[in-house]
Amino acid sequence: MLDCGMHMGFNDDRRFPDFSYITQNGRLTDFLDCVIISHFHLDHCGALPYFSEMVGYDGPIYMTHPTQAICPILLEDYRKIAVDKKGEANFFTSQMIKDCMKKVVAVHLHQTVQVDDELEIKAYYAGHVLGAAMFQIKVGSESVVYTGDYNMTPDRHLGAAWIDRCRPNLLITESTYATTIRDSKRCRERDFLKKVHETVERGGKVLIPVFALGRAQELCILLETFWERMNLKVPIYFSTGLTEKANHYYKLFITWTNQKIRKTFVQRNMFEFKHIKAFDRAFADNPGPMVVFATPGMLHAGQSLQIFRKWAGNEKNMVIMPGYCVQGTVGHKILSGQRKLEMEGRQVLEVKMQVEYMSFSAHADAKGIMQLVGQAEPENVLLVHGEAKKMEFLRQKIEQEFRVSCYMPANGETVTLPTSPNIPVGISLGLLKREMAQGLLPETKKPRLLHGTLIMKDSNLRLVSSEQALKELGLAEHQLRFTCRVHLQDTRKEQETALRVYSHLKSTLKDHCVQHLPDGSVTVESILIQAAAHSEDPGTKVLLVSWTYQDEELGSFLTALLKKGLPQAPS
Amino acid sequence: MDPECSRLLPALCAALADPRQPLADDTCLEKLLDWFKTVTEAESSLLLLQENPALVELLSHVLKSQDMSSRVLSFSLRLAGTFAAQEDCFLYLQGELLLGLFGEGGPQCWAAWSVPTVRSGWIQGLRSLAQHPCALHFLADSGAVDTIFSLQGDPSLFVASAASQLLVHTLALSMQAGATGCSGLWDGVWPACAQKIMGHLEESLQSTAAPQVTQALNVLTSTFGRCHSPWTETLWGQLCPLVARLLERTPIPAAHSLVDLLLSVARSPALSSSHGRLWEAVAQALRCLSPMQAGSLALGMLKLPHCPQALRVQAFGVLLQPLACVVKATAQAPGPPGCSMWPPGWLDGAEGSSLTVDTLLSSKSACVGILCQTLAQLEELQPLPQRPAPWPQEPLLGAAVTILRLCHGSATSSSSGGGRLCATLAGCVRVQRAALDFLGTLSQETRSQELEKEVFAVLSEYLGSPDSSPTVLKKAFQTTLRWLLSSPRTPGCPDLGPQPLLFLRELFPVLQKRLCSPSWEVRDSVLEFLTQLSRHWGGQADFRRALLASEVPTLTQQLLQDPESYVRASAVAAAGQLSSRGLQAAPDSPEHPQAQQGLLGELLCILSTDSEGFPRRAVVQVFTEWLRDGHADVARDTEWFIATVLQVVSQDLDWEVRVQGLELAQVFLVQRLGQPRCPYMVALPEAASATPIPEVLQSLCRLRLFDFAFRALLDCDRPVAQKACELLLFLKDKTAMCGGLQEAGDIPGSASGQVTLQRWRAGEQGQLPGDLQPEAMLALLRSTDLEGLQARLAQSSDHMEKSPQSLLQDMLATVGVLGENEADCY
Repeated sequence: MLDCGMHMGFNDDRRFPDFSYITQNGRLTDFLDCVIISHFHLDHCGALPYFSEMVGYDGPIYMTHPTQAICPILLEDYRKIAVDKKGEANFFTSQMIKDCMKKVVAVHLHQTVQVDDELEIKAYYAGHVLGAAMFQIKVGSESVVYTGDYNMTPDRHLGAAWIDRCRPNLLITESTYATTIRDSKRCRERDFLKKVHETVERGGKVLIPVFALGRAQELCILLETFWERMNLKVPIYFSTGLTEKANHYYKLFITWTNQKIRKTFVQRNMFEFKHIKAFDRAFADNPGPMVVFATPGMLHAGQSLQIFRKWAGNEKNMVIMPGYCVQGTVGHKILSGQRKLEMEGRQVLEVKMQVEYMSFSAHADAKGIMQLVGQAEPENVLLVHGEAKKMEFLRQKIEQEFRVSCYMPANGETVTLPTSPNIPVGISLGLLKREMAQGLLPETKKPRLLHGTLIMKDSNLRLVSSEQALKELGLAEHQLRFTCRVHLQDTRKEQETALRVYSHLKSTLKDHCVQHLPDGSVTVESILIQAAAHSEDPGTKVLLVSWTYQDEELGSFLTALLKKGLPQAPS
Repeated sequence: MDPECSRLLPALCAALADPRQPLADDTCLEKLLDWFKTVTEAESSLLLLQENPALVELLSHVLKSQDMSSRVLSFSLRLAGTFAAQEDCFLYLQGELLLGLFGEGGPQCWAAWSVPTVRSGWIQGLRSLAQHPCALHFLADSGAVDTIFSLQGDPSLFVASAASQLLVHTLALSMQAGATGCSGLWDGVWPACAQKIMGHLEESLQSTAAPQVTQALNVLTSTFGRCHSPWTETLWGQLCPLVARLLERTPIPAAHSLVDLLLSVARSPALSSSHGRLWEAVAQALRCLSPMQAGSLALGMLKLPHCPQALRVQAFGVLLQPLACVVKATAQAPGPPGCSMWPPGWLDGAEGSSLTVDTLLSSKSACVGILCQTLAQLEELQPLPQRPAPWPQEPLLGAAVTILRLCHGSATSSSSGGGRLCATLAGCVRVQRAALDFLGTLSQETRSQELEKEVFAVLSEYLGSPDSSPTVLKKAFQTTLRWLLSSPRTPGCPDLGPQPLLFLRELFPVLQKRLCSPSWEVRDSVLEFLTQLSRHWGGQADFRRALLASEVPTLTQQLLQDPESYVRASAVAAAGQLSSRGLQAAPDSPEHPQAQQGLLGELLCILSTDSEGFPRRAVVQVFTEWLRDGHADVARDTEWFIATVLQVVSQDLDWEVRVQGLELAQVFLVQRLGQPRCPYMVALPEAASATPIPEVLQSLCRLRLFDFAFRALLDCDRPVAQKACELLLFLKDKTAMCGGLQEAGDIPGSASGQVTLQRWRAGEQGQLPGDLQPEAMLALLRSTDLEGLQARLAQSSDHMEKSPQSLLQDMLATVGVLGENEADCY
């Protein structure tokens, strides 16, 4: 199973996938060899503790080391919000998150991991967020690459996705920005800094609601550098001890960041911020400008919402939403332009502060997706994680440019792909030697027919001689005989006709053993010929010819010969 | 319907009908439909439509307009179905509208039909409206049933599954409508619609195409699972021969679905009198299905309370077969204990045995699959009251031990089959985990000393082996714990049995080694194991001796500094547990300065400085336990302890730590003031509290516990405020009888306290004045409407956001606004 995500937009059982489609009565572990998680975002891993600790999957879970380290933080964050805000009792617990993470097998980039005898997986760098990976899944000669979310252009702290020319049968790629050619990220960053700077310059406060880990760190680096360059003194705060945590993980997984960060790491750790301080709840009431990063990212609970309520009434202030917000959240409401929000107790909160949306999400755009398809050279492409209309455009583009089939199934829809797998077949030495004994070495350009029996045993295919096959399988040989009737104009008695046949064959087939048996029948090798009278026409004799499968050639030859008639008997 | 919603509806319907207006969020329409379902459950749909004509206009518009988005189209179909579920509303919409939406000339002719969402909406709409006889006629006359038949094979899993479910529902509805007379009983005649479905099912069961057979079997499985009316018996009688014929085909088509059907029929209470033919079919299936599928059927049969004995024997034989094969293949003279002790009869004449052996030896994946399944099935069966008797405990134990040894590579076999099994299972984590789980379950039964020795020996191998993976080790620890705790003791003798005692001696060096494992998962599992074991055996002299003779307590304390926060949290729990049992590391050990500092100090340090929530939460939990159990370090100066902990906790950024701090405060209060009064305890006199109330109040002020609780009442995280409310209500209740105090307004400090609370209610955060006196606190407690606050806090904090008005406003606000934002998920 590739990824095990959740839908943030629902608060009931629709937020998790309906796993009963995998099996209704059976154990999930019997139906899945493993689960692979591409990265730590909740739409890719949010249902994992539910799946492994509540639904009952007990098999292996694969992810990269950074994902294994960061995933529980995000899951814990999400659990706390769900339990805090909604008071949900039937929800996974901290212990369940831990137990789930203990089932994880962490993988390194480009390390081939053997899941079982048949299945192997390999991770490739995907950019997007720290630890994000694309996975190649191989069974025999067939393979699938699943990209998860990826980014083909390096950003402030991560590098670009890369995969080798692995020519998978199928490439499953995300297509969030299927029709977009994104404007330069530099422009978006400049815009962001300008807005923050202008607000603090006029004495306003800036609130940036973020999720615990990920984009927040990128924005922190951005602000830190800008503050340093401009020599600004306005305080920047980051809530709930996340800076230390982020610092810890980025330090731990420095090899996963981009080249620039790795290079400068020796002189100065990018994540040890000079200007960004830990936030205390009392700071929100302080006079004067400030910038605060607070969780959660959609303004739906906790600290970010509390600060928002304090600051919303002042038009000098600004809130910058750096990500998507689901319906129902305050974040969604203000982004859609609502300025009067009904809060608890029928109170109306008037939003006078400025509201800005800035997309910093790191997905490949149309150009990037095409680039990856070009890199991997798949036989088929399957688009997921996007909108149907936009996918349709990209699908056509991929089919035109790369001449491969591209699919975009709806959720729950099945796609069947024809493949031509290579199935290795062993050949027995005996059979080969026998063929060689017949002379003529095989030539590369001239294929030669080889007869044998294909047997499948212990999941192996072997071509052996039929005798060996019989022996190995403990089967008795069936004798198959062909029979044919040949009519001859002959008025003589049956015995005489048989004798004539014998003489004719004896003289024609010099290399074969032709016999005339006491019961009057004639044999040539395994071929048996008997003469009988015709029931209706006394002038006609019927020759009954029968031969075995092994003497098929000779049998056919004899029948044809006899059909031509016997030579005139000397009078 | 709320008038505000009614006011917003026309604009929303207009926006939905306008194909140029994009809808921001794909969840909105789902939530809108949820809301309409709630509304129509409470009100008349007809009235709703008459009062809100915009809804019918939307549905009519859908019929006329072909360029609607597929999402809105699907939504409209489901909405129409929701309304038409009520008969009067159905009649109101019946004419052109319903026929246009669900009839033959309806959406099936539209281009949008190729979108699975639309087909799914069509089925769900029909499923909603099929609630009354009129709907049944509509289904039969409109040609919908034939479309449902074809949708069973839809490429979309969701559509196909919904189509099957709709068929089941229609069949049941049809039979219900066909029931005649005042008794409402079925008169034996199949109504036309039911006949049609029956015919389709019969045809499908005889089909040579496996998918078609599967579809029919799935419909029947759901039917027998849901409908328990007498007609289902006739249905089974009619279809049973066709089902039995499937078992004669090679290969058996849709075997998995066939097993589900047989089990569903067997479980049906309506079919008790006609089980004869069913049992025949089951017996045949057990004989000819593959071991994997036969196993599922066998387990299902064994779970039935009324399965005939002969069939139970056959079914149990099927379940035991794989394990018996393993034991047989690996048996050495004189054989592992128990291997020749399979109960007589269970394995006699098990026809599938050669099939099982073939499966076991055919490939690694088949072997692993069948062993894991069998072990899990036997694990499921073991605790059930209807499990077969006598339960073959000893042979099963022998088999589990053998499998574990095979996986571990410590079992050898000279036979070719045994050799193959050795090679297949060596190092197989999946089988190891399944076998350890099963072994754990078997600990609940009686066992011989000899077998117990075998079990502990194999567990020892696993715990000590460098090859055991972290996930296997975790299971091994869990199983070990179960075996140790269930180990029989001599009655009247506090000592451990000889086997556990021997095992303990080997265990602690292993734990020592594992506590130093580079894998955090392993360190954590050991600490969890240690906590559990000392909780149960902390008072056990042998255990104490073995533990104290080892380095384990010292290492546990060292792990309080582990780089991994999960491990630190587990170390806190373990060290806390050891300490409360007097099993902590020796304080005079010069190499461990932190031991000298005292565990209490160290835990306080973690509570105030650890950057992660888990260890801090674990510390407060340990402190609460210590307080409950009267731990020496706490009892020495309880007031100092409480004041210090609450002061640190009140600053914590993790709301769960603050909630746990309140829990600790509550335990303290109960100790001082007695248990909360039970409203049902009328006649019993109040148990005298240990300390007089005024004295307690003084101490609460000294400890700033009041202050802590009132601050928590203002917390931005709801559970904290809830817990604080609960605590203050308890206090209010306990001090209710404490008279002679002034009214709130007269007390210095209390007035500003109330103002703060009022301001807080108005959405602003406030600060309580410090250093309140008992009188002021008491007055504040009495004057605060804590009950009202509790009721408000009981509502989820997003109840406003979840309201229908909010949804409608959001949907309307989004119209024409979002463009770029929607694609940006993460």
